[in-house]
Amino acid sequence: MSTLLTYISVNNGKIKRSSLEVLSRCNELAQQHNLISAAIIIDKNASEIAEKLKAYGPSVIYIIENPVFNNHLNTPLLKALSLAIEKIKPKIVAFASTESTKDILGALAANRGAASLADVSEFELSGTGVKAKRPVMASKIISSVEANDSLVLLTVRSGSYDVSTQQADSNIEEIPFSFNDDELKITLKEIISASGDKIDLSEAETVIAAGRGVKDEEGRKLVEELASVLKAGIGASRALTEAGVYDPSLQIGQTGKVVSPQLYIGIGISGAIQHVSGMANSKVIVAINKDPDAPIFDIADYGIVGDLYKVLPPFIEELKKVKSEK
Amino acid sequence: MDEKFDCIIVGAGVAGLAAAMILARNNLKFLLIEKGDFPGSKNVSGGVLWGSDLAKLVPNYWDEDAGWDRFINHRRLTFMDNQSAFSVDFKSSHFNETPYTGVVVLRSKFDRWLAGKVQEAIDASEYAMDSFIAPNILVEEILMENGNAVGIRTGEDRFYSDSVIIAEGVNNLLTRQVGLQDTYVPADHILTGIKEIIRFDERVLEDRFQLNGRSGMSNEFVGFSTDGVEGGGFLYTNKNTISLGLVLGLKDLREKEKAPYDILNTFKQHPVISDMIRGGEVVEYSAHVVSSGDKRIIPKRLCKGGLLVCGEAANLLMNSGKAIQGMDYAMRSGILAAEAIVNAKKTSDFGEASMQRYQAALEDSYIMKDINNFQDAVHLLHDPVMTQKVPNLLCDFGRNFFSIKNEPTRKARQMLGESVKKYSSYWELMKVGVKGAKAL
Amino acid sequence: MKFYVCIKQVPDVNAPLHIKDGELIQDADRNILNAYDASAIEAALVLREKHGGEIEVVLIGTDKAKETIRKALAMGADSGIFIQADTDVQFDSFSYAKILSTFFADKEYNFILCGKQSQDTDAGLTGSMLAGLLDLPYVTNAVGLEMTGNSLIVKRQGDAGQELIELPSPGLVTCSNDMNDPRIPNLKGIMQSKRKPVETIPVNDLPTDSTAIKTKILGYEVKPAREAGKKFDGEPDEIARQVARLLDEAENVV
Ligand SMILES: Cc1cc2nc3c(=O)[nH]c(=O)nc-3n(C[C@H](O)[C@H](O)[C@H](O)COP(=O)(O)OP(=O)(O)OC[C@H]3O[C@@H](n4cnc5c(N)ncnc54)[C@H](O)[C@@H]3O)c2cc1C
Ligand SMILES: Cc1cc2nc3c(=O)[nH]c(=O)nc-3n(C[C@H](O)[C@H](O)[C@H](O)COP(=O)(O)OP(=O)(O)OC[C@H]3O[C@@H](n4cnc5c(N)ncnc54)[C@H](O)[C@@H]3O)c2cc1C
Ligand SMILES: Nc1ncnc2c1ncn2[C@@H]1O[C@H](COP(=O)(O)O)[C@@H](O)[C@H]1O
Repeated sequence: MSTLLTYISVNNGKIKRSSLEVLSRCNELAQQHNLISAAIIIDKNASEIAEKLKAYGPSVIYIIENPVFNNHLNTPLLKALSLAIEKIKPKIVAFASTESTKDILGALAANRGAASLADVSEFELSGTGVKAKRPVMASKIISSVEANDSLVLLTVRSGSYDVSTQQADSNIEEIPFSFNDDELKITLKEIISASGDKIDLSEAETVIAAGRGVKDEEGRKLVEELASVLKAGIGASRALTEAGVYDPSLQIGQTGKVVSPQLYIGIGISGAIQHVSGMANSKVIVAINKDPDAPIFDIADYGIVGDLYKVLPPFIEELKKVKSEK
Repeated sequence: MDEKFDCIIVGAGVAGLAAAMILARNNLKFLLIEKGDFPGSKNVSGGVLWGSDLAKLVPNYWDEDAGWDRFINHRRLTFMDNQSAFSVDFKSSHFNETPYTGVVVLRSKFDRWLAGKVQEAIDASEYAMDSFIAPNILVEEILMENGNAVGIRTGEDRFYSDSVIIAEGVNNLLTRQVGLQDTYVPADHILTGIKEIIRFDERVLEDRFQLNGRSGMSNEFVGFSTDGVEGGGFLYTNKNTISLGLVLGLKDLREKEKAPYDILNTFKQHPVISDMIRGGEVVEYSAHVVSSGDKRIIPKRLCKGGLLVCGEAANLLMNSGKAIQGMDYAMRSGILAAEAIVNAKKTSDFGEASMQRYQAALEDSYIMKDINNFQDAVHLLHDPVMTQKVPNLLCDFGRNFFSIKNEPTRKARQMLGESVKKYSSYWELMKVGVKGAKAL
Repeated sequence: MKFYVCIKQVPDVNAPLHIKDGELIQDADRNILNAYDASAIEAALVLREKHGGEIEVVLIGTDKAKETIRKALAMGADSGIFIQADTDVQFDSFSYAKILSTFFADKEYNFILCGKQSQDTDAGLTGSMLAGLLDLPYVTNAVGLEMTGNSLIVKRQGDAGQELIELPSPGLVTCSNDMNDPRIPNLKGIMQSKRKPVETIPVNDLPTDSTAIKTKILGYEVKPAREAGKKFDGEPDEIARQVARLLDEAENVV
């Protein structure tokens, strides 16, 4: 029986929800097609994390544990994954789409002679490979693609599937791995702006996004206050990350992160397709913009036409009330 | 490479591209400069290029499936009130023969395609390495010496040439800068055009507008279409879209405090229009100033030493009610301007007298002849009797004439009389009628 | 220093498009230089200004893509390689990477710069595949580049924040458009670009096996459009409160 292998992304010792989404999908496919759903954790604390993963139902959990995985580096990760693929001979390896997995997808495919599909929003097994859907043209349309190869690697957009728990008697299997520092082809000098313990945008239930309309300290304060009332993650349009107002890791859109929260509130954002491409799958979209013709209103469920400086204070106040009534 | 050009053309719209084609064919060394990302990127037009000059620039263009959308063999002029439409409709297979007498074009596509053709002509010319089409560059100044144009400036860079053709379109800042156009142009001489491109399934479009292969229709509207503001409406069929829009008087808009977009929306809700656009998807919206065709704003002089102005930069345009003619004027005047430059090059004389040949050729062409002959039609179109009373009256008459009730029917003449009395008077109509007969 | 920049011509995603019988049709033939590649070129130009060197751009495409090489030359690249492809072959990232790797096999260079992804397909594969095939060290999603000695110090936007990575020569970088604002060619650049050398290599002269195309596009479909909801226009205080209530009562998302 061949294996569907899910790579588990770990962030500061925490499993990323998006990789659980992928695992849940693989579990489902394994059941349908009578295959094995396995997961692999490559981390310095892999064995610890494996225990937590059991609640999500993979039949086998492979672990590769090594201090070199403390930070993301493509050379050791590629080596580890190559090793695992050789051993497990999976039919597919599925990843949640993150900067780290996107970093190695192409090189791994090249090294293994495998087919690869990046950033899919849906996938299923076809007779000989994988069929998938991918948003293209800045997510204006969806393309159906097929990869027919004995090994298919794919990354999946966050928010594409629901996470299901399913306690399993997973076997944990360690794959021996060693790595010498002189194998490192590139060296990490420094991590500059760790966006560390802040709410991870791509996993947040509520996202507040600030755009060029948020002009000053006062505007940013309002955004922060709203975020704290709603316990939301703060993101931004490229106009503001480019200007250095918000950390670049907070950029939402084609170049930045894809978010699919329950609630997205865009503040002073025009709604250029490159931004919309990263947030159009949010469940409820609210937009605050003073220009009634701003394109973001074409996709907003609730469009507030008005000056954000006038709209936000009563909005925040009312939300506080709503919260306190609960 | 820093040496002089024979000519620098400012603006790669229809006029500039036409001029460039002639220069390239005649082996002149030139620069064609366009401020947009690519030729056509900033251009809006409703879309019928009338006449057959295009065939002169690109022989057998109809063999290509590129650039142009459809040829016109079906024309309709519609008078509307708020519920009805009374049309004069003419369709003839006579128009199916090449060269076509009118083709619908979408400018961003057409201009880009024509620029490709110009590039081919450059590549085949002696100056394949020295003539350029340069997009994304704004000409800020025409360099003048002793009353003659000697080049252009963009940013810090200056480029020199024996001659300059200004083909900058209706916002003619450079034409004003060199003193050929009054710096102030009254608002009642300017219109604003707005347009939507609405997409359909090609088969739906063909069925709905009775199109066959590449045939197309043009429809002009008078009356309710503009919600009481002077101007008119148009609808042209493109390949799988239609262009639907309005041309509205700026002054009247301002006085009546109306927004063009609102008027367009009302127009779209008219039962006749809404039936035509049902199921379509708006894929583009654009707005652009357009000249009124009033001769008073056409500069008296269109040349100086080494300098020519053509196309809508010279306000060459006619809106006679039955058609908007701007692109064909732009094309022909571009051709004439380039021919004057080719001649000047032969004699190495770019002085004002030599440039005058362009103005003479223009006066002699159908452009100035038509503009002179049809001024009254242009004014008539702005007459409220024409834009409101006539359409109302015609629709009222149509409603009576075409209603068949189970009661004695009156004579058409009687119905017309009642309609006339309701909306106007014979006397008023007679005035307009006489004006109209004279004008057309 | 010798830089190669891999560039691609892509359809302008801002141009209207539609789908007919599962096929993607662009209303206008509007193609542009991939924005991420423009950033890669800009990055190379800045490095060349500071440290000297030579920039060659490489593009695989059909004849109409040549204008994109001219654009790169007008921005300031020194020369171009045009790998001419047939119109009817549908390459995927892997086959592009394969063709590029055969081209680079016998070339000498310090760095290959790619765009982080294609604007139209958002695949983001070719760069790291090429690195894999050429066995080069690489960094993806670069948002800054500095040179020290023979190495590049690459600022990379990663999941955990920005990383500073040292990349030795020869190596490969994929560039984000967050790195810089690519210059718009000026008239002099446009004029010079015509005289810069562009070598044409038919793609069949770079033998790659037919199994290189690993993924196939089966068709396109319109993304179910999000309906515009309700627009609230009026007294800011009032509409703000109204929407806040609705988010709770109607949507249950706060
Ligand atoms: C290849 C490529 C990739 C890109 N990737 C991304 C990406 O990943 N993410 C991204 O965001 N962008 C991306 N962009 C850029 C994108 O095209 C837009 O330029 C950007 O999203 C604009 O940001 P904005 O909406 O904040 O600014 P603007 O477009 O300038 O809009 C500001 C809005 O604020 C409103 N406003 C101003 N003042 C107020 C006020 N007081 N109250 C209320 N409203 C106000 C204005 O009406 C306006 O609509 C990309 C572009 C390219 C070419
Ligand atoms: C809504 C609408 C509908 C119309 N319908 C029709 C129709 O059906 N039939 C018809 O024949 N006409 C129509 N017209 C009129 C027609 O579009 C114009 O008359 C015609 O485009 C004029 O051509 P042109 O080449 O003179 O100018 P344009 O087409 O305006 O071209 C001028 C070019 O110069 C460039 N430019 C300007 N300044 C500079 C500078 N300083 N440096 C560099 N480049 C510069 C501009 O970007 C532009 O590309 C319509 C117009 C409108 C607005
Ligand atoms: N046809 C091509 N010619 C040259 N480089 C290409 C080509 N296609 C892709 N690339 C490079 O790969 C990047 C995009 O990769 P991808 O997203 O996989 O298409 C581009 O930014 C280029 O640097």
